[in-house]
Amino acid sequence: MRKKFLSVLLSAAMVTTLVTGCSGSAGNDTTTSGSTQGATVESTKGTTETTKGNDSKADNVTLKWAIWDKESTAYWQALADGYEATHENVKIDMVDLGSTDYMTVLATELSGSGSEFDVVTIKDVPGYATLVQKNAIRSLDDYIKTDGVDLTKYAGVTDQVTVDGSLYELPFRNDFWVLFYNKDIFDAEGVDYPTNDMTFDEYDALARKLTKTDFGNQVYGAHYHTWRSAVQLFGVLDGKHTILDGDYGFFADYYNMVLNQEKDGVCRKYSDLKTEGLHYSAAFSGGDVAMMNMGSWFIATMITNLANGEYDSSLCGNWGIVKYPHAEGVEPGSTLGTITGLAVTTATDTPDAAWDFVKWVSGEEGAKVMAETGNFPAIMTSEAMDIITSLDGFPQDEASKEALNVSNLYLEVPYAENVSEINSALDSYHGSIMSGEMTVEEGIAAMEEAVKAIKNK
Amino acid sequence: MAKTKSKSKHDLIKKVVLYVILIIIAALMAIPFIWMLSASIKSDREVFQMDPFVLIPKNPKWSNYVQIWTKIPMLTFVKNTVFLTIIVTLLQLFTSSFAAYAFAKLQFKFRNGLFLAYIATIAMPWQVYMVPQFLMMRSFGLNDKLLAIICLQAFSAFGVFMMKQFYEGIPNELSEAARIDGMTEYQIYSHIMLPLSKPALSTLTIFTFVNTWNDYLGPLIYLKSTSKKTIQLGLKMFISQYSSDYGLIMAGSVLSLIPVIIVFMCLQKYFVEGVASTGLKG
Amino acid sequence: MGERKVAEINTLQAELDELIARVCGGIENKKEEKKCLSRIEKLRRTLSKKRSGSRLSRDFKRDLVSYSFIAPNFIGFAVFTLIPIVFAFALAFLKWDGSNAIEFMGLKNFKRLGSDVFFKAAFKNTIIYCIGTVPLTMIASLALAIILNQKVRGRAIFRTLSFFPYVGSLVAVTSVWKMLFHPSKGPINSILYHVFNVPVDKLPQWFSGGLVLLSLILFSVWKYMGYYMVIYLAGLQGISGELYEAGSLDGANTWQKFKYITWPQLRSTTFFVVVMLTINCFKVYDIAIMLAGGGSGELTTSSTVLVYYIYQKAFVDWDLGYSSAVAMVLFAIVLLVTVVQFAYQKKTAD
Repeated sequence: MRKKFLSVLLSAAMVTTLVTGCSGSAGNDTTTSGSTQGATVESTKGTTETTKGNDSKADNVTLKWAIWDKESTAYWQALADGYEATHENVKIDMVDLGSTDYMTVLATELSGSGSEFDVVTIKDVPGYATLVQKNAIRSLDDYIKTDGVDLTKYAGVTDQVTVDGSLYELPFRNDFWVLFYNKDIFDAEGVDYPTNDMTFDEYDALARKLTKTDFGNQVYGAHYHTWRSAVQLFGVLDGKHTILDGDYGFFADYYNMVLNQEKDGVCRKYSDLKTEGLHYSAAFSGGDVAMMNMGSWFIATMITNLANGEYDSSLCGNWGIVKYPHAEGVEPGSTLGTITGLAVTTATDTPDAAWDFVKWVSGEEGAKVMAETGNFPAIMTSEAMDIITSLDGFPQDEASKEALNVSNLYLEVPYAENVSEINSALDSYHGSIMSGEMTVEEGIAAMEEAVKAIKNK
Repeated sequence: MAKTKSKSKHDLIKKVVLYVILIIIAALMAIPFIWMLSASIKSDREVFQMDPFVLIPKNPKWSNYVQIWTKIPMLTFVKNTVFLTIIVTLLQLFTSSFAAYAFAKLQFKFRNGLFLAYIATIAMPWQVYMVPQFLMMRSFGLNDKLLAIICLQAFSAFGVFMMKQFYEGIPNELSEAARIDGMTEYQIYSHIMLPLSKPALSTLTIFTFVNTWNDYLGPLIYLKSTSKKTIQLGLKMFISQYSSDYGLIMAGSVLSLIPVIIVFMCLQKYFVEGVASTGLKG
Repeated sequence: MGERKVAEINTLQAELDELIARVCGGIENKKEEKKCLSRIEKLRRTLSKKRSGSRLSRDFKRDLVSYSFIAPNFIGFAVFTLIPIVFAFALAFLKWDGSNAIEFMGLKNFKRLGSDVFFKAAFKNTIIYCIGTVPLTMIASLALAIILNQKVRGRAIFRTLSFFPYVGSLVAVTSVWKMLFHPSKGPINSILYHVFNVPVDKLPQWFSGGLVLLSLILFSVWKYMGYYMVIYLAGLQGISGELYEAGSLDGANTWQKFKYITWPQLRSTTFFVVVMLTINCFKVYDIAIMLAGGGSGELTTSSTVLVYYIYQKAFVDWDLGYSSAVAMVLFAIVLLVTVVQFAYQKKTAD
């Protein structure tokens, strides 16, 4: 009797799980790429018309939007307010998933088919690849076609996140890497400021010229944050290589340059940085770093923190930016980019309303909101550019303004099928090389082997 | 006379050595926490300043302790955490001591098999079954509910295992004698076993309390609305991508440490009383 | 009921009464006592069987009572833990990303393990870490418990202090450790430099390369010593003072008392401690990330551990099947260790 009861209980529970598990997959089976597109076309046509017709008196819609760090990031609320102001029937409900594990929480939430999110923010390309492969977000192709969104405005970055000819996110924020420098250090040494047209050799020489290794009075000519992007990705700026190549000999020169600088005290040691967890902002605002390569998001951080007194303006108040150094024979202004995008979930009941929001945030109106909060929108209009350069606290020299003109933008991580695994392998061996566990040659060989294994899986 | 004198001298040396060892251990244990206290009143830059190291900065940043309540809805987080911790601990204590009694003192079919199921799950890292578990919980409508964390934490195999090991240490003749006196198993459990297991129960209380209080990954996956988040999630909110507020994190850590220390202080006397003083001779 | 049967029951009952009287009167010899108890149990069962004539209903009632004890915990446990785990077991033979259709893989996931460099590194590191941490922590916590079980002044304060590391949030305590062991500015290395004249380029890099596992082990012992001390303290309280008094009368010294009284009496506690320690060591994850993680929290091949790899595979790559396969390896090892422990405990108990 009781045995039977127990087994009934167990199997009932088991069935529940399996049904849940399968319903998740079953739901998605029917929506794999081909059929989704077909289905969306029809529903889009049907519903866009009705939406358009009823725009003002339509039913109230609430869009659940996944974001991170609501309190410390100004633009989420500004974007939501901006959209709600012009769309009275729509309410934006922001859910803060925190930034540290954002993509993990989001991907878990979007597993199966029961999610309540309508719009999600995409933080990085590996995470984007995961969501696309999980069929968690929708292809936007038909919407883009129907509404005539001009992708050329995004300066080619959308091409780097296109999956088998389809686009699943629209970027609304586009950061690119520049070289920050502390003018006071250059002035004290009587050295000319860096320029918008520097080769790596010139940059290396300049960093060495500014370095002082006297104990207690050190000045570091350069600073590299512990991220892989900060060192390794100098190599992709010639446009001939990407991190998906599987052949990484082109990293070697840059690893050698940085490791030699480290040895000569030109920059802080990787192992020290890792142990301290020293944040790049603390390093630069400490006033002993002459040059640091970092993303354009740091511009807004500098402006805000100098204004509110968090950073000591006698240490780092006199700063500027120039374009990234470049390899011999490469056009200046080639740099790395990181995009942040919005996507519409597969699970949403109101895809049209969600798309409308995505379109707005990624479009000109959203771009204006982004620029006003000191961030770089994905559509870099001259209006947005003027707003940023005229922000109180933006460096007033011409070179700094010119530095914002990017000629070629290469995403830190472009889309590929196995991009998240490749990314993890490269991250891991970057650590091995930088901490001296492996020589540059060994590390690169290990990267190549690991990526080969991933590709052949 | 001389003999006792030398003996007392011997004892003195022994005492001194003992205290020296104790003080060294205490120092090893305490230094990081002194550092933590000191860091909690420093600014971000001072926190990592080692040369020269100052224990109390010239301008102590007491505002860290004020800001922690205003920068994030800390009060809500504290309320949630306290609620979760208390419910989970009570449920855990009750259900696992109950089940452990059966595993330790009763004979029944599938006893070993069932117990093995418990032990085996302890060996499984949570990360492995987190996704199936999440999908199941969500289908029960538990996503973004405090109840999810209760369900997750309250029925741990660890509690059963620990209590069982303890009950096995209590001699069988006690329960045997009670059975002969005609007591039911429920009475034996509540009148004999429960009073005897104060040391083990207080140990389990502390472990469950600390675990639930400091849990991060569980609340991270299940609790999304700000009104439902816990202290640990709040602390992590500071360490966001572009800034890290170490002084505040330390202030938060100090605050989050206090309740657990109080619970420990209250319960630690039971380790002293316990079995020996309840009249039981092993 | 036949006369013969009644007589039989009576003799059995008599034997039972006598045994119970003996047990209640107290038996010095532990082995003898155990023997009596098992005989009592057996007799009682035969008797009840003979009396009622139906063994089943008696047993059924007994089982029902037992299950009623287990049910409140077991139902919650089965629904929220056991079922997902069974599912995770199945996953090791499947390919699943949490959303798309599930594919059957057979043993392919396990075959992949053999040629996976990261898995092999994680496996090796985890084993070394466990071999270092388990005995050290056990010895340290037992020693601490014995010291703090004696009548010393300020015992409560010392106990609370030793419990601090376990309670302290990992973020806070790891950052303190990292300052103490900082490769170029930390006090440990500056002692090595100033006192022991170790040249600057030979100063140990505590958190990378060959030393990282040692740092992890030392940190874990420090952090978890207090936790296992508490378990040992609870165990020590269970030992009767009379045993020690008897020992003193026989002229046993401190070491002999430990060897012949404390250690054997703590058998089931030690078993519990070692099993939990082994399991927790194999599950090491956040300590490694926080002490040895690089720029984006990634671990290199010299510091990677199994659960880190499981996490990576599950939540970064969403290869849940493969991640489960790695977990199965971990699970198999832990189970093996536990079963060996179990057998050993059984053997020494008899």
